[in-house]
This record gives sequence, structure tokens and C-alpha cells, in this order.
Amino acid sequence: MKKNIILAALILVSLSSFFVSCKKDYGNLNNATVEDFLKNASKSDLNNLVSGTEAGMRNQLALYLDDVGVIGREGYRFSNAEPRYVTDLPGANNATLSNSNFYITNPWSARYRVVKNCNVLLQAAANSSLISEAKKKGYAGFARTIKAYQLLINLNLTDTNGIRVDVADPDNLGKFVTYNDGLAAIASLLDSAVNDLSGATVVFPLAGFNGFNDAAGLAKFNRALAARVAVYRQDWQGALTALSQSFFDLNKDFYLGVFHVFGTGSGDQLNPVFIPQNQTGEVRVAHPTYARDIEAGDDRINKATLRTTTASLSGLASNRDIWVYTSSTAPVPIVRNEELILIYAEANIQLNNFSEGIKAINTIRKGHQLANYTGAQTKAALINEMLKQRRYSLFYEGHRWIDMRRYDRLGELPVDRQGDDVWKAFPRPFTEQY
Amino acid sequence: MMKKRLLIITGILCMLFIPVIVPAQNIAVTGQVIDASGAPIPSATVAVKNSTVSVATDAKGNFSLAIPPDASIIVSATGYKTQTIRARPDLKIKLEEDVAKLDEVVVTGLATTVKRRNLANAVATISSKQLSGTSPAQTFDAALSGKIPGAYINANSGAPGGGISVKLRGVTSVYGNTQPLYVVDGVFVDNTSTSAGMNAVTSAQGSGGTTSNQDNPSSRIADLRPEDIENIEILKGASAAAVYGSRAAAGVIIITTKRGRQGKTSVSVSQDIGFVTARKLLGVRAFTADRAASLSRDSATSVALRQQFLDAQSKGQIYDYEKEIYGNTGFLRNTVVSMSGGNEKTSFYFSAAQKDEGGIVKNTGYQNTSMRLNIDHRITDNIKFGVSTSYINSSADRGLFGNDNAGITTGIALASTPSFAQLHPDKAGNYPNNPFAAANPLQTIALMKNNETVNRFITGANLDAILQKSNSSTTRFIARGGFDFYNLNTNVLFPGILQFQAVNKGTSIQGFTKNLSTNYILSLVNTWNASDKLSLTTSAGFTQETGDYNNLLNVATQIISGQSNVDQAGALNATQLRTKFQNSGIFVQEEANIADAVSLTAGVRFDRSSNNGDAGKFYVYPKGGISWNLTKTGLIKDGFFENIKLRAAYGQANNVPAYGSKFTSLVVSNITGFPGVIVNTQQGQSTIKPERQTEFEAGLDFSVLNGRLGFELTYYNKVIKDFLMLSNLASSSGFSTKWLNAGNLRNRGVELGMNARPVQARNITWNTSVNFWLNRSLVTKLIIPAAPQGSFGYVLGSYQIEQGKSATQIVGLNGQGVGVLGDAEPKFQMNSYNELTFFKNLSLRFLIHWKQGGQNVNLTTLQNDFGGTSADFDNVTNKQGIPDGIYRISLVGSDAHQFVATSTYARLREIGLYYSFTRVPISYVKGIRFGVSLNNYITITKYKSYDPEVSNFGTGFSSGVDVDPYPASKRANFHLSIDL
Repeated sequence: MKKNIILAALILVSLSSFFVSCKKDYGNLNNATVEDFLKNASKSDLNNLVSGTEAGMRNQLALYLDDVGVIGREGYRFSNAEPRYVTDLPGANNATLSNSNFYITNPWSARYRVVKNCNVLLQAAANSSLISEAKKKGYAGFARTIKAYQLLINLNLTDTNGIRVDVADPDNLGKFVTYNDGLAAIASLLDSAVNDLSGATVVFPLAGFNGFNDAAGLAKFNRALAARVAVYRQDWQGALTALSQSFFDLNKDFYLGVFHVFGTGSGDQLNPVFIPQNQTGEVRVAHPTYARDIEAGDDRINKATLRTTTASLSGLASNRDIWVYTSSTAPVPIVRNEELILIYAEANIQLNNFSEGIKAINTIRKGHQLANYTGAQTKAALINEMLKQRRYSLFYEGHRWIDMRRYDRLGELPVDRQGDDVWKAFPRPFTEQY
Repeated sequence: MMKKRLLIITGILCMLFIPVIVPAQNIAVTGQVIDASGAPIPSATVAVKNSTVSVATDAKGNFSLAIPPDASIIVSATGYKTQTIRARPDLKIKLEEDVAKLDEVVVTGLATTVKRRNLANAVATISSKQLSGTSPAQTFDAALSGKIPGAYINANSGAPGGGISVKLRGVTSVYGNTQPLYVVDGVFVDNTSTSAGMNAVTSAQGSGGTTSNQDNPSSRIADLRPEDIENIEILKGASAAAVYGSRAAAGVIIITTKRGRQGKTSVSVSQDIGFVTARKLLGVRAFTADRAASLSRDSATSVALRQQFLDAQSKGQIYDYEKEIYGNTGFLRNTVVSMSGGNEKTSFYFSAAQKDEGGIVKNTGYQNTSMRLNIDHRITDNIKFGVSTSYINSSADRGLFGNDNAGITTGIALASTPSFAQLHPDKAGNYPNNPFAAANPLQTIALMKNNETVNRFITGANLDAILQKSNSSTTRFIARGGFDFYNLNTNVLFPGILQFQAVNKGTSIQGFTKNLSTNYILSLVNTWNASDKLSLTTSAGFTQETGDYNNLLNVATQIISGQSNVDQAGALNATQLRTKFQNSGIFVQEEANIADAVSLTAGVRFDRSSNNGDAGKFYVYPKGGISWNLTKTGLIKDGFFENIKLRAAYGQANNVPAYGSKFTSLVVSNITGFPGVIVNTQQGQSTIKPERQTEFEAGLDFSVLNGRLGFELTYYNKVIKDFLMLSNLASSSGFSTKWLNAGNLRNRGVELGMNARPVQARNITWNTSVNFWLNRSLVTKLIIPAAPQGSFGYVLGSYQIEQGKSATQIVGLNGQGVGVLGDAEPKFQMNSYNELTFFKNLSLRFLIHWKQGGQNVNLTTLQNDFGGTSADFDNVTNKQGIPDGIYRISLVGSDAHQFVATSTYARLREIGLYYSFTRVPISYVKGIRFGVSLNNYITITKYKSYDPEVSNFGTGFSSGVDVDPYPASKRANFHLSIDL
């Protein structure tokens, strides 16, 4: 009898040692990992990162445009499900912008996610032994340009509250930098990117870069962004230099440029800013002053079409839909010629080259069925005119609030309800407090 | 491969031992089991000691049994004290009442049991009668509500098909698993909630994602049939559950289903019919022309609204849409046929059941069809084999409810729709667009579909072989295992004709989920009776659990009219999620019983899991317990107090990290046909460890008045070390979250229980149990800064894990800044289950549940205020003298107190009245039972939404969020059952 127990115990012990030696680790069954890509990425791996980067730039795009569009009093975003569009953003009553709410945390993290992807792309390209130096430079030039652009978008939100520029090591993030230092860092990142692009070979596909999908084209795109950064920095001469190396052309289509594009394929996105006309419940309507202030005959009134019924919520109302993005696959501009023409006007006016400035302004006016500028030829008057043209030409493309802020004119934006506020900047997200 | 080999070896091992035991010549014993008053006790168990042989008594308490000479028999029955006697040919056995349930047998090891009188833990049990014998709930999970002392239970949604959150003894994890492990007849049952992909339409959690925790899926445990359940034991913390190892940190719910016993075959047929209605409606705002006009501040719109109201009023077209949508009566029926019986070798239990229930919202409902066959077979006197098999087919139509950022769910659309809106279809059946919201809820309800269909097999087997037997020692080999396999098909369809499908032109979301869970336990158990006063039980063995989950979710948009197949569409988005794990453990446990007065338990378990950062590393989890009966040891004489027992137990268990915590993934992010990848928002943590729970509990049990009043007092201190938290990262890192072993938290609490029989007269008996419990948690260490979690941020009230604070505190704007506004943890809870029996045949049973304190984040009222439709919008009770609705809106953004609402309630959860006819003129009918019952009919609460017992954000840590859910319902039932 005892023998049996000993035997049983022996078998149990031997079984358990057998069992101990057999361990399981299933790996990641659902997707590739960053660690895989950093080892020795192939061209197709790197191209996946490029497309992922371009696609990821569209994440939270609608929310960004609503953030700057509502605060910049370009329009209202009515949603029965989300009251904070009409409370926090226009500053109703005692409401303020919170550092933990979706309107800042979501777009902020979406942009830095793309920055992270660019950093992975940079590192993966550098680590790869399977591609040539020229091709590596192409990936690097693309990655740095996009990184700079994404940082700029976040700086547009937080303004004087700053951004982090050095975010390569998630466990050891760089310090927040001020608005001016942030712009300087973005400018120098763009400069180093354009350096990468000279002599680079581009072997990756791009979706929204029609006409700009080679090294030379990417450099032009890069310089267009550099021109925007230069005017933000009030580096007027720098803006003109950058424009001359970009795709700026007074005689070309206003819509020549680089865009976020959309599609119905698997894993793709539809234009999130598109809402059909005359919807109820979820609507995006133009601020009443858009139609009130527009010059007669300006074809840009078509960007805010009349509704069959007025939409209203919480004491805000408008009878015009925002009709800038007219289908679920309509592109959203990143930077386009019309903005560059207006940057040309701005820089020249600031440098007192009024004739060049007026020439550019008139190009815009003519393009929108308006007669030439006839106002005073003073800096102040011309800046007013330039800002007005920017308001209508770049409507709901994310500029009005930033323009009024950099000219210190937020006080001129209309306040609709007693107790509403025009915010100057979003707070740093709560996760960034330390 | 390895597993197969193991089983073969085990089989050989068993065969080796079979011939060792020589069968002896048996003698026949007959007898009757009766209670103190001489009445027969049917269904009592008569078992031969140290053997696998047992029979059940028949309706007259009689039994007959063949046993070896000189053997002892053990006679037991639920509610009576167990007796062990020497067998004689003709016996009359009188059992004593056991109100304090001291003789109840409780599972304490993976293969061992102990009587409650020797138990070191407070283990709650729910009998079949308590579970489903008063007023049956729709699903198994809902049937647990209010019945577990120490638990905090909330419904994720009132939608048909269940879905509840069960938290035993406080929150045991922050973002790890907070839900207990369910074990049915030894099979670890999966309780994953699988989203149907509603987020693709509602954008409840940001835009883009297909799924979110706000999609209100059901929990898979809801599939189980309460009618098949004999008994439930609840191991509430690590001190009791340590032997279950890596998945036991949130407690273990051990479910035992009914089994057949030797005796005449009995057949029982029962039929319930009833109806279900909303527990509460909030009411709607009474509009006037002025109030209609005030919905807009735009003068032209105002004028139009006034006219619209006047037109509607003159045509008599003012509607109470809330009542129209939620005020329906759903009919329900439930049929159960069961059969059980057996001979001396083989016994069986079989049941087939079907229920079909309508919801309070049109086109919602629940069906469940199930079949169970449990078979036990004695291969020899020493080897017993059993299987439990069940097949379940369930189908739930759950509608479109809850939080949403698109303004389309029923509640959210309703919130902004005034009574003078015209939503009804024209004669051709065309619904008008709702000018006040993004959706016409009448149209949505009529045309949409959100169905979950499950086909599920749960099968377990166990083998119990006596390897060695002598007068003082018995050694058994016990093997248990099984699998749980299901296919879940989620079918969501929003036709293009719907108001909110203007962009997508029809959305079809088809989800296919397959899950296979397996587990087995192999163990050797030796019981050694060293002397009359000392017995030792040694057990050792190993366990393994695996899970393999595969979810494929297709979202098709631009669908061809009338079609739902995902290929009949212009655009298709597919996502697939797989998880797989294997946990392995080795355990050793020693139990000592000294003179039936002191019992000592010690055990240790070694565990590893493929989900851990280091998949090969074994983590060690010890446990120990002592129970000391002061009266039995003679320290205190039995007097007024009897059976005074002190007990203490200690144990550790863990909770493995979520699958994939270790990896930094690159997720798909395509653009115009170019395949792209982007870093996931969750950063991998290659060194992730399981969280470890250490629980100490101590208690005092005693009974008074001859056992008619039993008390159980328990205190516990549960410490969770290295709790898993999906911590917020500085999102400039590119990541939003990362799994971390972020800190420590503890739960301390008290559970007081009383069982009594206050009245025992000839024609009336009253059994009652009263329980009181409370829990307090504290975050003792947090290595990351405190941040709002799991809700809507400070503006609307949010959870926040913060060192030195309660783990379930709710913080938010308090008018001056950010402060603590509440806590989800109730101050205390109480329940009382009562059964009154009159003239032996009439039985009244009821369950009362009282939850005192605890706050919810209630945003349902806010939604109604924003839409200008709250019933009390125009009341003026605030100091500013403006309508309350406007006043409340004006506080948004500066003060969140109004959203953090106390959810105290007292509820008559179940009440049922049953009458049994035991003498029926028809010879083959043994008994007929009639009954009427009410479920959740009476609730006393000041809580301002549909139901205080709510958790719209799923089963995780952030319970108690209330955003326009499917309203909770109440049920009335008529019952008829016939025993053949």
C-alpha cells in the first residue's frame, strides 16, 4: 500500500517537473511591434510608417478645427451629446477651459502620436541596413517636416503655455519651451529637414501630396510651412525667402498644395469635418458675423450656405451651415497657394512694400469676384484688409483665432452671450503638469 | 501536445491502482430519515463513509443501500445537522435543525471541502431557492443582485440580456480585472464582455475606434441558467481563494449544478409567465407656447417654435415620447423541464429550458434555450466519474442606448426632443427627421438592429478514485477539468434611411467571436486519521488554464439598400483582436482537524502566466487559516452561547496583467489604399508583473437559543500590492497610457451575518437571514501623479486614484477649484432574506436590499436639461429665482456637485408567494406548486435618474456612471410547476 503512495508521489513529482519546463509566451498576435521595426526595417516597413504617419495626421482633425474655429468665432459646433462645445469653448458663464477635457487632451495627444511615429521612422531608417543613404535622407526629410508641422499645430493650441520639443525618450521628456522658443525649434527642424531632402531619394508613396511627392516637391512643401512659421515669428524677410523656395505662385490655382485626403478603404478614414447641409442635432454652422461682414459679391459666401431652418443651442443660433468640406472624402488643406499668397501680402505689407502687398491682395480679391482694393494705403489699413482676406479665404481651415491672437486683436472677436469669453490659449493637458 | 500526454499518463496512473482494492461482501440496509417533528426528509443524502457510494431519500424519507459490514453511514440534508452512525439493517434517523448552517459543506481547496463549523473564512452561499426560487430574474447575473454580503453589484444597462458588474470586498484592481472568477462544476467559465462595435456609430469614446467600454455589451456569465444551479459559494478574497491562484484576486464564485441521485426517476415541469415594465420613468417637461419659444434665443427660430407648439397643440399632437418609448410592457415566458434519477451505478440530471422575454422598448428582448445533462457513474466502489454538459443558445436584442457623441442613442436623442415634436411615421411608414436631435428615436427603434447571439458549450468532467484505503488513511486521486467554448455573433444594422445615416448611408457591423477556455486540476488527496482526535488532509497537485479569444469585427458603410452582409457595401473596415494565455500552477495544502474543534489550514501555490512580463517566472502565493471552537475545546461551557468559534485566515492571490501589456504595438492606419502603421497610444511595459492581493480576515461565529439564532462577524483587511493601472502618460511622449504596477491600495471592511428562526410553531415557521456589510478603501501608495480616470473629467465629475484617498473617490469642480465630491463606495449595505411557511404548504419569500450612501456620476439629468426637456426644468427652487434647468446648466463648468448624486436606495428586490399541493388526486402527479412573484417592484430612493443601480461604463473600475441608459425594468411572474 505504502509503495503505491510513494509511486504516486513520484509520478506526480516527475509530471510536475515536466510541466514546469514547458513555458508559453504567445508574443503579440494582433499587430507588429515597435521593437520589430527598430531591428532592421525593410523599405516596405518604412513605407508603412510613412503612410501611417500621413494617415495619423488626420486623427482628431475635426476637433482641432472646431477648437480653433469656435474660439476664433468662425462658427459654432452644436451637439446634443456634447455640451462642452457651447459651454467651455466659448466660455459660457463661469465655464473655463479645463486641462483634462477632450478638446485639449485629444488633439494634443493625436499630434504627439504622429511625432512619435516620425521618431520611430527616423530611428528605424537610421538602423536599417537594407536601404541606401539617399533613401534614408528621404525618410528623414519627410519625418522631420511632418514632426515640425505637428508641433506647430499643438503650439497653435497652447500658445504661451508652450510645448515640448524633445520627446524622443518617453521616460525622459524634454522641458516645455516658451512660445517663441517653440517656434524657433520648429523653424530649425524644418531647416534640417530641407537639408535632408537635398540629394535625397524618395521611394515611399504619399497620398495627399499630389505634385509634391518627390524630394523636390517635399522641399517646396517644407518651405511653405517655413513661410507660415516665419510670419508667426514676424521674420518677414525670412517668410519671403521661404516663399521663393516653396510652391508659392501668384498666378496659380489657390488650391495648389498639400492636403489631408480621405477614403473609404479598410483602415482609412472619412472626412470628419463633413456634415451634410441642413442636418439637425449634430451641426457645424457659421458664425452670424461671417455673412454680416462679407463684401457684396464675394463668392466666399458659398462657404456658408443658408439653412432651411435656423440651428440653435444654448442661446447661440445661426442660419448658415459651414460648407467648406462638401463630401465625406473632400480633402482638408495642410497648406495651399492661397495662404502663401496671403503670407506674401502680409510680409510685404510689414516690410512696407505696399505695392507688392496690394498686388497679392488684389489677386485674392479678383479670384473671389471682388474689385481691386481701394482702401487707404497705410500699413494699418492694409493689415486690416489682409486679415479680412485671410478670414474669408482660409475659413474653417484653422487660422482665424491664431491670426487675431498674433495681432493681439482677440478683443475684436464677437462675444455672443453675456459672460462668454474669448480664450487666448488652451491650458497644458493635465498629464503634462510635471 | 503536452496536455494530451499528461492525460494519458494520468489514465495509466489510475489503472495501476484499480486492482489494489478488493471488494468486500455487502449487506443491505434500509431506513428512513425524519426531522425533529417526525416528518420525513426527502432528498437527504445517505453516504457510506470512506467510499463513493451514496443515495438520496425519496419523498417519504426512505432509502435502501448496500454497504460493507461494519461501515459507517453519513446522513446529511440541507438545513440539518449531519449525523454519522454505524450501519444497521433497519434504521430510523432523526436529524436536528441547523439554522446556523454549521454542517454545510464548503469548498476550501481545489479538491477538498470542510464543514462550515470548521471553516476559517466567511464564505457566503446562495442556495437554489434563494437564487431563483423567490422571483426569478432575467439572467443569472441579475439573480445575484442583493444576495452576496460583501459585494457591490451594479447593472451595466437595463437592456435585455444582462451585464452586471460584481465587486467583492471593494475594488481589487484599478484597471486590471475587477470581476470575480466564475467556476461551474470545476470549469473556469469565461466572462468577457464583447463589444458589438457600437462606438463606430455613437463615437461614445472619441471618434475613430470601433469599440469602447461604453458599448454596453452583456457579460457572458449571463448565459448560465439559474434553474440548473444547486448551490453557489462565494470566496470573497485571497484568504479563501488563494488556491485558485492567478485569477482569484477579485474573488471566486463557485457554482455547482444539480445532479441526479440514486432513486426513482423524478420529472418536473415548470412554467412561468409574466410581464416586464419600466421601474421608473422620469417624466417630461410640460411645454407651453412660451416655454417652446424659449428653446431658442434666436428670435426667428423662437417664433417658429412657438408656432410649431401651437399647431401641435391645436391638432392634439402633444406626445409623451418617454412613455411611448419606455412605457411598453414586455411579455415573458419561461419553461423548464427537468428529470433526475439513477441506480446504484449511474445517476443523471437532465434539463431543457427555454425563455423568451420582451423588453420595455419595442424590438428589444431576450431568448435563452439551454440543455443540460449531468451524469455520474461509479466504475467501482472506489472510482467515481462524472460529467456535466450544457449547451446554451441565447439571443439578446439590446437597442441603442447610453453615452454617445453623435446624438443618436435613444436616451440622448430623446433628451432634446420636446413633446410637440412630430416623430410619428406617415401612412406610408416614412418617418420624418427629428428637427431637435440627430436622430428620430421612433425611427431608430423601428428600423435598427443590435443583436447578440451566443452558442455555447460548457463541459466538465471529474474523476475521483480512491487509491488506497485503510482504517486510518484514505488517498484519493482527483482530476477535474473541462472547457467552455462559445461563438458569439453580434449583428448591428442601421439602414441608410435613418436620419443619422446621411453620411454613412447605412452601417452594418457584424462581429464574430470565438472563445475557448480550458482548465484542469490534477491532485492527490490523503486523509489520515492519526487518532480519534486528529485528522490530517494533505493535498497536492497542479493546474493549468488556457484562454483563446478571437474577435473579428467588420464595419460596412454605404450599404446596398435592404442588405446587411458586409460585402454588400461601398466601404468596409475590418478589425481583429486575438488574445491567448496560459496560466499554470502547482499547489500543496495541508488541513488539520483536532477533535473537530480546532482546524488548521496551510497551503502554497506557485503560479506563472504567459501574460506576465516574465512568462517563465513562478510567483508564490501562500495561505493559512485557523478556526478554533471555544465551546468544543471546553474553554467555554455551552450555555447561552453555543459553538463559539474564533477564526482567522490569511492568503495571497494575484491578478495577471491584461494580454498584450508588454508590447508597444504598431496599429493599422491606412490612407487611400496605402497600408500604414502608427504607434499605439498604449506604451508596452516589458517588466509588467501581476498585482498581488494579500488578505487577512478574522471572525467570530456563535449561535444562541439552541442553534436557532446564528451569528457570523467578520473583519477583513485586503491589501493590493503593485496594483495594475493603465496610467496616463504625458501624452507628448506619443503615448497616452501604459500599464504600470502603480501602487498599493487596501480595502477594510466588516461583514455581519445572522441566521435565525424567530418563529417555529406547528403551523408557521419563519426563517430569516440578515446581513450587514461595509467596505472602505484607501490608496496607500501611488507612484504616479493623481489624475482623473474613467469618466468625463473634472467638469462633470470623475474618479481619481490619489494617494491617501479612497480608491473610488469622485472629484470634480466644486465652485472654488477641484475637490472631492463623493465616493462610489456605499456607506453600508444590508439585506434580509426571509421565508415564512404556513401550514407546511404556503410559503412566502422575500428579499430586501438596502444600500446606504455612495455616489454615482449622473449625467442623464444634465442631458435632459441641455435638451430643455427635464420634467422639473421650470421649477424654481434655486436662490437665483430662475428655472432650475437653466440654473443647473449655468453651473456647468464651475461646479460639478449636481452630477455626483447619492444613490441610496432600499429595495424590495424579490417577493414570491407559493402554494404546494402534495396530495393530488392524479396518481402519477406527485406535487403541484403555484406561485406569484414580483421582482424589483418597490424601490425607495431619492436618486434622480432611472435607477440608482447603474454602471454604464462597463465592468471595470469606473462603475456608477449614468448616461441615458436603457431604463431598468421590474418583473411580475406567475409560476406553475408539476412534479411527476
